[in-house]
Amino acid sequence: MGRLTIGSFSSPAGTMSLDFAIKLAEAAINKGHAVDLWLSGNATVLGNKDQKHYKDYSHLQKTVKLMFNSGRFRMAICEACAETRGCHKDITMDECIRASMDWHLASCFSADRVIMIGDN
Amino acid sequence: MKLCVFMSECRSGSDLIDRLEAEKLGIILVCNGVYHAAADYEIRSWLFPKNAHLYVLAEDLESRAIETSRVAPEFRVITYSDIVDLIFNEYEKTIWI
Repeated sequence: MGRLTIGSFSSPAGTMSLDFAIKLAEAAINKGHAVDLWLSGNATVLGNKDQKHYKDYSHLQKTVKLMFNSGRFRMAICEACAETRGCHKDITMDECIRASMDWHLASCFSADRVIMIGDN
Repeated sequence: MKLCVFMSECRSGSDLIDRLEAEKLGIILVCNGVYHAAADYEIRSWLFPKNAHLYVLAEDLESRAIETSRVAPEFRVITYSDIVDLIFNEYEKTIWI
């Protein structure tokens, strides 16, 4: 099995591409691969604790927690992007890594496959 | 190089696709890009290079109520699980447009 690094830079609500990133990560983990997910920009909000599930919004946190339990999933948020959005360490999920872009570059260089998912 | 392009929007994107050179070129339609798979032949033939392997994501077709019967025959309807296999086994690099 291999390791897939996914970079996503779009919001958790109101866009489709972060949904795609999470579903792709879930499919890869279900097939036995390991996944590193890097989140920048508005996507960093996905690292917050206690996200409320509203019927008409996608609720990715549940899937993310299941993936953490697999032990083959790492999720890192850009610390600067998070801090500028008021997402400080105390409201960030414990399993979520807070790092600079170096973490993502290192992950890309050591991964078998890389996909950068833009914002739409 | 074996290159896989994720097309996620319903705009042409041919300005970029035309300039891609790959030993093997795959184009996977996802999100709103899936509308291209049900477009008229003239649009499709202009948009997608002849040698490209064409795929479309089943889940995104279903969430847009596009029946697979309306998908053009040159597209292979795939799932997220198939995408993982394609990424790891068939293609080396990926692009998201």
